[in-house]
Amino acid sequence: MGSSSKRKKDKQKDFQKPKLKVGKTKAKPDNYTDTSFKSKSIVLTQQSLHLSAPTSNATFTHNLSLLSAKSDSQRRDSLAYLTTTISSRPVNSPLPQPVSVILPSLLPLILDGTTSVRTQLLKLLRTLPPGDVEDHVAQLLPYVRAGMTHLAADIRSSAVEILSWMVEAAGESTVSCAGGWIKTLNCFLSVLGWHTEESSRWSSSRASFGKSGSQGKPMVKTLGALAMFLDAGIGKPSIGGIDSEMSGDDDESADWPFPLCQTAQHMISDSSTPFAYLNLFGKPRDEEGEMYETREDRYRVFSTRFQPAIERGIKSAREEGGELGRASSGVSKVLKEAITYGPGP
Amino acid sequence: MVKRKLGALEKVEADLPNLQHKIRRDPKSYIEDFRAQHYQYESHREIFMAAPSSATDTGVISLRDLIDFISHVADCYPGICKDFPQQLIDMLMQHHLVLETELREKLVGSLVLLKKKDLMDSATLLHTLFPILISTPSKTLRALLFQKILSELRTANSKTTNHKLNRTMQTVLFNLVTSDRTSAKGLWAIKITRELWKRQIWTEAKAVEIMKEAALSQNEKVIIGGVRFFLGGDKEREELEDEDSDEEVNVGQVKHQLTINKKTRKKARVAEKAIKAVRNKERKKGNPAPLNFSALHLLHDPQGFADNMFFKHLQNGKSKLNLEQKLQVLQLVSRLVGLHKLHIMPLYSYFQKFLTPRQPSVTSFLASLAQASHDLVPPDVLEPLVQKIANEFVSEASAGEVATAGLNAIREICARQPLAIEETLLQDLVMYKKSKDKGVMMASKGLLSLYRDVGAQMLKKRDRGKEAAMSLRSGERQERRYGEQAAGEIEGLELLAKWKDEERRKKNIENGLPSDAEDNEEENDEADWAAWNVEDDEDSDIDGEWINVEEDVEIVLSDSEDEGKPASKKAKQEEEAKKDTEKEVAADKDIDFMKLATTRILTPADLAKLTELRAQAAAEATLPGNKGRVAAPWTSRHTDDPLTAGEIEGLAALSAAKATREERIAHAKEGKTDRSDHMSKEARRKERKEEQGKSTTNKEKARKKNFLMTLGKARSKNKRSLVETRAVLKAHVDRGKRGGRRGNVGQ
Repeated sequence: MGSSSKRKKDKQKDFQKPKLKVGKTKAKPDNYTDTSFKSKSIVLTQQSLHLSAPTSNATFTHNLSLLSAKSDSQRRDSLAYLTTTISSRPVNSPLPQPVSVILPSLLPLILDGTTSVRTQLLKLLRTLPPGDVEDHVAQLLPYVRAGMTHLAADIRSSAVEILSWMVEAAGESTVSCAGGWIKTLNCFLSVLGWHTEESSRWSSSRASFGKSGSQGKPMVKTLGALAMFLDAGIGKPSIGGIDSEMSGDDDESADWPFPLCQTAQHMISDSSTPFAYLNLFGKPRDEEGEMYETREDRYRVFSTRFQPAIERGIKSAREEGGELGRASSGVSKVLKEAITYGPGP
Repeated sequence: MVKRKLGALEKVEADLPNLQHKIRRDPKSYIEDFRAQHYQYESHREIFMAAPSSATDTGVISLRDLIDFISHVADCYPGICKDFPQQLIDMLMQHHLVLETELREKLVGSLVLLKKKDLMDSATLLHTLFPILISTPSKTLRALLFQKILSELRTANSKTTNHKLNRTMQTVLFNLVTSDRTSAKGLWAIKITRELWKRQIWTEAKAVEIMKEAALSQNEKVIIGGVRFFLGGDKEREELEDEDSDEEVNVGQVKHQLTINKKTRKKARVAEKAIKAVRNKERKKGNPAPLNFSALHLLHDPQGFADNMFFKHLQNGKSKLNLEQKLQVLQLVSRLVGLHKLHIMPLYSYFQKFLTPRQPSVTSFLASLAQASHDLVPPDVLEPLVQKIANEFVSEASAGEVATAGLNAIREICARQPLAIEETLLQDLVMYKKSKDKGVMMASKGLLSLYRDVGAQMLKKRDRGKEAAMSLRSGERQERRYGEQAAGEIEGLELLAKWKDEERRKKNIENGLPSDAEDNEEENDEADWAAWNVEDDEDSDIDGEWINVEEDVEIVLSDSEDEGKPASKKAKQEEEAKKDTEKEVAADKDIDFMKLATTRILTPADLAKLTELRAQAAAEATLPGNKGRVAAPWTSRHTDDPLTAGEIEGLAALSAAKATREERIAHAKEGKTDRSDHMSKEARRKERKEEQGKSTTNKEKARKKNFLMTLGKARSKNKRSLVETRAVLKAHVDRGKRGGRRGNVGQ
């Protein structure tokens, strides 16, 4: 009883009415916060009210800045706006802003949590002219790799899509930029779970963590991307194909009249960073981060480090059959061609 | 529309803590997932390294989360993570200036975590953190790093002293202080050293050497930091030690609560921890106390240090220290001079210009001067100073406080070097004992009693007092010459000798031998040797624990004390005989007890007895009934203790004018607690209980019980039959015996 009466008293204390008196100011409540402040001057920021509508260039820049907005619908809408502006511009006219300006704000969106934003991003990327993308692949790749190993399966699959777009748009530079070959292949192996013999067997209860999504379809997509990537990296160089550097010798030498031979070698290179492989200004790279510029290098690395794991993985995927098996046959075909071609001519 | 329910697996999207938890339980199965996250970390690191300063908040997962995750599970996959610590170190070392704060703190925390998991050694960790500590401009980071460095050093030294790590760290700090003497960075060395000194982790001369170099630097803050350490570091250490021993866990209470409260695993763990802590403390108590020399004693070459300090900071006209700082330096120098009996002759002439009553904080100067004088200072150096103090401070015209301070200062100087004052001046000053001002009177009497002890022949005959005059006449007391040293002795040895003598007598009486018989001395000796380690037993005895009583000579001896009492008749007879002999013995006495130390080895048991006797004698001396003179304040002071300005001011409060009524009232009110209303003790106790949320007693509950609730029982009580009443009464008695309804049999 003692305690209950005490509690009663406590309760009463909480609900006591403050006494109001005529002519006195009302007492401030306990939780009153003093919001008044002193300032020497008050500055009113000017509103940007204009009579004329902003130019299309200004809206483009504005929307570009909105890409880092907090709300995901805002980000998606501005992406959509950018996409339509780029795609609906007159043919052969330059972009409203150069790719080097657009890209830095696009990059973090590869790891965006919202699916609609990422699909919209892919649409925007597809509208970019492939020639301009080629120089910025090195910037894109770390983000794509981070996406490929992300905990969320959706982000993984959209990162794979972006990678396949990159291979389509600029295959040669994708596989030959710094860290582009070994690190990306490592990521592929980890997405597919092919790193060790145990984990690649279909019967192994691979305790996959995180939201796995539908297991089959992303695997198929990944296998397709892997096939494309391998083809770009170590596929048999086709004449006039993606691998123009290897086969281009004969064509270019034909451009020069007879007494001049191999003049193309002595001319100023037409790529934007011809001496990137010297790595004059960056950090020293290790084996994984190195540039592998020729097919020969890439094939050597591949055959020593990745070939057994990939072959093992393909085999188990084929045994699984179905859609996955069919997709794996595409990879195995690329692989077979590459192996028959060998380390090079 | 109803929200769709999320499945358990759908929720865990991008949930690193969840993955971390699962990896902890089963690292092998989740290796693929970990590898993926490691690749992700690699790519994020690549992105980050491309632009360290830009905000790296990318999407759902940031680099910070990944670092946190990997450092938590790194010990499960040492192969994959072998470069991880180095990467973190590089990231922190190269970019700590531009990193965002949260990531920076996460990096520091992760490095400490990796050290805890033994993935890197503490030397590497300290070599990473320390350079950042002294170079970063961020205050929060500095605080964090300082705390981490300290805790790292503490944990490294927690089990055994990690000499190697300490040495490297001390070398780093030493180099920091000595490399650039003008910079304020040395403060960090001081802070760390002082903290570790306080916690008794660093107690070596090397730590003191760091502080010595700091005190000789050119930056004021660093100088004062070093000086403060020497002046107060040891006191701080002692205080912390006392604090540590204060917080005690009551094991009994913990155990008791465990039987009453709800039994949970957590509570059991808490109790276990408490018991373990107590057991540890017990074990520590058994260990010999570590020898902790004060910093002033560990100094290498104190003369050089004091010389340097004096010429660099005090004598030097260019020194930038202000008065307060100079006073601190002066305090240190004078303490060193007094403690190590150094000779810095210019120091005394330096004092000359400060010894006027108008000088700010002159009492501190006076205290320093007194500290700086010792018995090896030539009297003709001190004499002019004493003369000046007397001229400037002590006169009829000067205020009471001033004269008191002057007299006290002179007394303190003369206590250390009695030859520093001339006879005529001393006699003049002693005359102030008749002063009306109480403070001056007391100070003068202090001087008088000091000289009765140390140099009675300098006083006038009527001032000498009975004791001093008699000893002077008998020639027992002679003037101490300059530089003369007294022969060393063990304090209280005569007490021990006396005690031994008595014990032997008692034993002889017990054995029926004449009390003076010396023949069983050897036997006694053997007994002493047997009781070599009595000390340990005595220690545990105090703790109140059971000990295994062996056939111990010490115990037998203490028994004999009790048995001695019945035989008092005999003892009385012996006493008379003893009195006769005592007179003869008295002459040889002082030589006799010296023999104890020179001919025998004192056992630990002897030493324990010695301290006991000494404590007893000290306690007896303070008893009011005791006729013996209470020891003068200047003799009771330990040589390590500093002399403060407060002591020089002395009883100045007494010489101040009488307080006004208001002052007296305020003074009286000071001691009282803020009590708002008058209440009985009982009521106040009840109120306090209620405030603390404690329950009431059964009695109180019974008293408060609602009247209507008691009615039924009261009514039925009237209708009880005799048998029922008997049963109730019986039950009541029985309950009382058992100790309540639940009984307390189990406890």
